[in-house]
Amino acid sequence: MTTLSDAGTDGAAAPRVDRLGVVIAILVAVTLALPFATFRATRIASGTGLRLFDALPPMEAAAVTAVLIAALVTAVASRSPVFRLVLGALAIGALALGVGAAGTHLTPTDNPYARIAPASGFWVGVFATAMLVTDAMVRLKLGPVGRLVALVATAALIVALLASGAWSHLSLIAEYRNRADVFWREAINHVVLAAGSLAAAVAIGLPLGVLAYQVRAVRDPMINVLNIIQTIPSMALFGILIAPLGWIAANVPGAHAIGIRGIGTAPAFLALFLYSLLPMVANTVVGLTGVSRAVVDAARGMGFTDRQRLLQVEMPLALPVVLTGIRIVLVQNIGLATVAALIGGGGFGVFLFQGLGQTATDLILLGALPPVALAFAAAVVLDAVIEISGKGKA
Amino acid sequence: MIELSHLTKVYGDIPVVNDVHMEIESGTITVIVGTSGSGKSTLLRMVNRLIEPTEGRVFIEGNDVSMMPAHELRRSIGYAIQNHGLFPHWTVARNIATVPMLLGWDRKKVAARVEELMELFQLDHAQFAGRYPHELSGGQQQRVGVARALAAKPALLLMDEPFGALDPIIRAKAQTDLKAIQRRTGTTILLVTHDMAEAVHLGDRIAVMDGGRLKQYAPAADILARPADAFVDDLIGSLDRPFHYLTLGTVGAAVEPGEADGAPLAADASLYEGLGALLWSGRKTAPVVDAAGAPIGRVSLDSIAGRAARPR
Amino acid sequence: MIRPGTILRLIVFLALIAFLAAPDRFAGLLAPLTNNGAPPIYNQGSLIDLTLSHLFTVAVSTLAAAVVAVGLAIFVTRPAGAEFLALSRAVVNIGQTFPPVAVLALSVPAMGFGEAPTRMALFLYGLLPIFENTLVGLSTLPPAVVEAASAMGMTNRQRLLKVELPLAMPLIVEGIRLSAVIGLATATIGSTVAAKGLGEVIVAGLLSNNLAFIVQGGVITGVLAVLISDGFQAVARQAAKRRGARPQTET
Repeated sequence: MTTLSDAGTDGAAAPRVDRLGVVIAILVAVTLALPFATFRATRIASGTGLRLFDALPPMEAAAVTAVLIAALVTAVASRSPVFRLVLGALAIGALALGVGAAGTHLTPTDNPYARIAPASGFWVGVFATAMLVTDAMVRLKLGPVGRLVALVATAALIVALLASGAWSHLSLIAEYRNRADVFWREAINHVVLAAGSLAAAVAIGLPLGVLAYQVRAVRDPMINVLNIIQTIPSMALFGILIAPLGWIAANVPGAHAIGIRGIGTAPAFLALFLYSLLPMVANTVVGLTGVSRAVVDAARGMGFTDRQRLLQVEMPLALPVVLTGIRIVLVQNIGLATVAALIGGGGFGVFLFQGLGQTATDLILLGALPPVALAFAAAVVLDAVIEISGKGKA
Repeated sequence: MIELSHLTKVYGDIPVVNDVHMEIESGTITVIVGTSGSGKSTLLRMVNRLIEPTEGRVFIEGNDVSMMPAHELRRSIGYAIQNHGLFPHWTVARNIATVPMLLGWDRKKVAARVEELMELFQLDHAQFAGRYPHELSGGQQQRVGVARALAAKPALLLMDEPFGALDPIIRAKAQTDLKAIQRRTGTTILLVTHDMAEAVHLGDRIAVMDGGRLKQYAPAADILARPADAFVDDLIGSLDRPFHYLTLGTVGAAVEPGEADGAPLAADASLYEGLGALLWSGRKTAPVVDAAGAPIGRVSLDSIAGRAARPR
Repeated sequence: MIRPGTILRLIVFLALIAFLAAPDRFAGLLAPLTNNGAPPIYNQGSLIDLTLSHLFTVAVSTLAAAVVAVGLAIFVTRPAGAEFLALSRAVVNIGQTFPPVAVLALSVPAMGFGEAPTRMALFLYGLLPIFENTLVGLSTLPPAVVEAASAMGMTNRQRLLKVELPLAMPLIVEGIRLSAVIGLATATIGSTVAAKGLGEVIVAGLLSNNLAFIVQGGVITGVLAVLISDGFQAVARQAAKRRGARPQTET
């Protein structure tokens, strides 16, 4: 790693003022100036933006403002990562509770159709305080276990907020309530699609990767073909697969019965499976070729059969890289499964595209936020697993 | 004349270079020798301000180097390091031409200089000018690195373990070549190494460093004969000391009148070579010839041995 | 010597041009995929128009993303920007877990429908691979080379422009390639937010159950993506050859 500071000047002394802190502070100040919540008389009426003190009763508004200002000051003045983490987390908490309270406060008792939603101020505030928290966590250099704990804690807090009804007056939750059973049905579809295609990709991609590693002649053609598949835009691949699958459904006895159709889950599943092959195969090859030659030679010399060597020596050592491939596939597939809704594959995309069609922000959020959260959680969990599995192996 | 005036460099709490003061005569080769961590590389880098001193100054011909823009200073000082740092995306010719082009020389002058240097370093211009560094052998890369350092005819050349990556056979030749080039061009050379033999072979004066401090700064003979302290003594090594000492003298200086049998020794060969030749051929004496091949006398084991003893 | 791969690509490229120029000639080929006498060739707009619009959207966004991402990466690798380095890496990591379609959908409430949210989503999402690759490229340079550049007397700016960026170029180009490929895919979905592009053809096919439309749209988009990706890879390979190393095939 180049030490750029050595090679140029002699390494500038750390600036007195934390410029990242200043940026965050400016954003927090902007938060206070922008509208905090939007009030709409009905679902499709246009909304009015309300600033913090208009959206909340004075006590609550003052409390939120105080916490935000404390976070602002911490961002600029404090260098301690722990302090910044705590203040940042408190600020996010204040914003989350505040917007829920705004929902309660602003809902007129006589108008059950009114909709209250977070406005730009809220989002800017969340972004700024999330930056503060993320920066603090990075500087704390938490290990994999620490990050998992942070993830679980955050998830628990969100679940608690949802369960306690703190957010129950927000339009997003109202939207969810209107279609709760569909939501969970599509959630299951989404997860099954993403995880199922991952499982299939591991089951087939891993052996293919081993084959590509062992048989040199197969390696380049396979990777080239998979590369081509990977480059094809998702909607295009979904579309192209409809024709052959439709033909199979029509002409192969029994295919229709087990669920193979031209549209729906089948082409989506097949497409996701195909998209998962390149990362699986490529990472398996890279992982296996990355095992030190000396170790492989020693294993051979000690009398392992080829199969024993593969299973007991090479694969375990290649595991972190293979797991990285799995992580890539899972995150990718959670995202792609969202697009599957376009060809009838279900999943959270259903709400996302419905929302786009109706220009309903809350529906869009209902369809977009869960996959984002799932993908993020999957990445954190798998990264932690990879780091743990890689310890002591290098 | 280069003056390193009370140079100190502190990282955190640790003085990596601690109050080093030395004057280097122009046109000489000075070798800074020490173990790793002695601060020798840091000291070198303070001369061309790749590292800025915490305290102290460097004066080149009376000018304080901190008074001019760093990049201008560096264009007047040659720099060659162990991993040579050749630019992988430029050809050999373009690499060598780096500093002249930064200085704005015109194209013809640059091209002529590149050709001149490649010849000096025995790199066939037609074959190598258009090659890329990764297409060269280690020895060739090292020569291009030094050629690049000398391209703009600097008065001062800084070298950090320039021969470290070469295998021993090539290394000896590279050292000899460097000495010859230095004698021709009169460039002042400041060279850092951990190899005492290299220091004795190359250095007009040797500076021994340990733990950031300058332990001794003297001609090679003095360092060998009168080491300043136990550390310097250790560095030389009791096993090799007499042999290092012998590399400093020539056969011609020990010649006595008389005749002898067997293969002759050249008068300008080192006493070390002479001793080796005598021992291996099992002789007590050997004839000595001058540069033209004419006999001028003989040299004996005894006279060489006498010169290997610690000077009083 | 022209390799078989290049010849294949040339043939595919010419076939694409032929189809776009005179799509109706190919009607017979696509007719079996339709039923009830539906039109085999997309007739709700000019295919060439849509293709160019699609490509233009991706080109503009990717170019903007390249300029900004490379600039940011340069900034965080200089002493002046060092305090932003750790956070920017984390942000890129997190950002890349977001599904591109979510970024697209979330741009709509902010920017309305049409080209704007599509370009914004492409730009934002395209920043990430370019930034990450440029960062890796600039921070894994051989230390001896970077030191030598300063030691020769290059100013910091000269060192950046003459040595660091050229040596990081293979990785930067690879980042731009990734960005363009993802952009092409996201722009296809952009039709669902009324951006003018080839996704329209696929969506029209899905809505009217016209397999021919779906296949047309899918094949054109797929071929374009593969050809453009190959083009970038060729550029990256050229850039890497001159520095004596292979561009990393990262997954």
